[in-house]
Amino acid sequence: MDTVVTNQEIFVVLKQFIGEVIGQEFADELDIRPESSFTKDLEMDSIEIVAFSEKVKKRFGAEINFTGWLSGMDIDQLIALTINDIIIFIQECQSLK
Amino acid sequence: MAKFLFVVPPFFGHISPTLSVGAALLGRGHSVRWVGFQELPAGRLPAGGEFVVPQLDKEELDHVLKRQDDGPVLGGAAVLKLALEETYLPLCRMMMKGLPGIVEQYKPDLIVSDCISFAGGLCAHISGIPCVTTTPVPPDVMGSAMDMPKIREWQERSIMELQREFGIYVDRPVIHSDRMNIVFTSREFAGIEQPSPELQFVGPVLGRPGEGAFDWERLERSVGPKIFVSLGTLLVDIRRAYFQKMVEAFGGSPVTVVAATDPSILSSWPDNFIVQAYVPQSRVMEKMDVVICHGGFNTVNDSILNGLPILITPIAYDHFHTASLVERSGCGLSIRYKRMRTTDLQEAVKRLLEEKVFRRAAEQVRSGFLRAGGASRAADLLEAVTATTKIGI
Repeated sequence: MDTVVTNQEIFVVLKQFIGEVIGQEFADELDIRPESSFTKDLEMDSIEIVAFSEKVKKRFGAEINFTGWLSGMDIDQLIALTINDIIIFIQECQSLK
Repeated sequence: MAKFLFVVPPFFGHISPTLSVGAALLGRGHSVRWVGFQELPAGRLPAGGEFVVPQLDKEELDHVLKRQDDGPVLGGAAVLKLALEETYLPLCRMMMKGLPGIVEQYKPDLIVSDCISFAGGLCAHISGIPCVTTTPVPPDVMGSAMDMPKIREWQERSIMELQREFGIYVDRPVIHSDRMNIVFTSREFAGIEQPSPELQFVGPVLGRPGEGAFDWERLERSVGPKIFVSLGTLLVDIRRAYFQKMVEAFGGSPVTVVAATDPSILSSWPDNFIVQAYVPQSRVMEKMDVVICHGGFNTVNDSILNGLPILITPIAYDHFHTASLVERSGCGLSIRYKRMRTTDLQEAVKRLLEEKVFRRAAEQVRSGFLRAGGASRAADLLEAVTATTKIGI
């Protein structure tokens, strides 16, 4: 997609993707915020994170190398990864276009 | 006659297969000792064997064991960190206080060290004694995280630092044997096409004990398909929630559930649930039609050895890897514990009972397990190592 979107708009889309990946009834039980961490707060496993990243790619463009970005992380970065980190990553990728 | 020293961690799933292999070695007239963190329950040690617990800081050990209960509430990456930094490394340091003295005094011909008992590998290297690794679960327990370069770097760095701490300055990890690694599953089930040469797949050797009392009469009287549910010996904190889900899914339905758990976790149980803390698992399984478990390897092996389809509900640690192997082999289905819906549980069990393909696949994996040779093949392999090293090959 070409239009530049705001952080809030990205957040809404990501939140929807999380619901699609983990099941809406499980997502409804979680308090999903930009500062939510993927593994601890959202309890997402690697299969779910991969499914989620596929959706991100489809929506925000194939040039967003989400899995490449993830695979460069160290263990503490991975543990601490939040929705907000992904919002910033998407914004950065879009501003480079 | 040779002397074998097994080094084991404080986890029953890792100790159990070494007891069978040790029993086979004792039966052939060898001397066998184990070094572990806690005495074994009475009657578990094979006759003639000796189990040694070195001086340990009990408080520190309790802390490590208690931390294992946090696994289910942590994410995958945090579990990796918990496993390495808060389990394997501290256990190794604790063991290194007593193990070198035991090795020096016993002078084993071979150290047989469990894959997460790094101390066995370190001691073998320091003392120049040959070492073999035992691995109770299919290798690749670290799963996809190993594909991430920085995580692999962190793991390697941690191991090298540990080795240097004990004066080992070689540039390769010595915690595992590069001579031989005996894996207690089949190559086919582990899904490894081209195993590296040190891997020897001997199949599962023994699951949970088959002894102990059980209300067999009640089981005989019960009607409908029989479902065995077990969470293994760890995972205390989530027991109540887990079995509550099972009650919601199967309470009052025309099946019989044997739940291997302390009954006091729930105030009441439906009439079609037989609940007991320590069941003679391998014997009970002979009467079952389907097994539900979290993916502990002993229970998965017992299920397959009884040709039973499995519903696996992975929670943490290597459960996800095991679940993927069960699904890929066709002998079961997997529902992640955190996303376990009552209707999905019912649907999965219905499929496992009705569709014959699952049972057939379980039978097929079973024959592969039996072909792998078990404890006696493992004993052959260990004997062969001592034979070659004694004459200096």
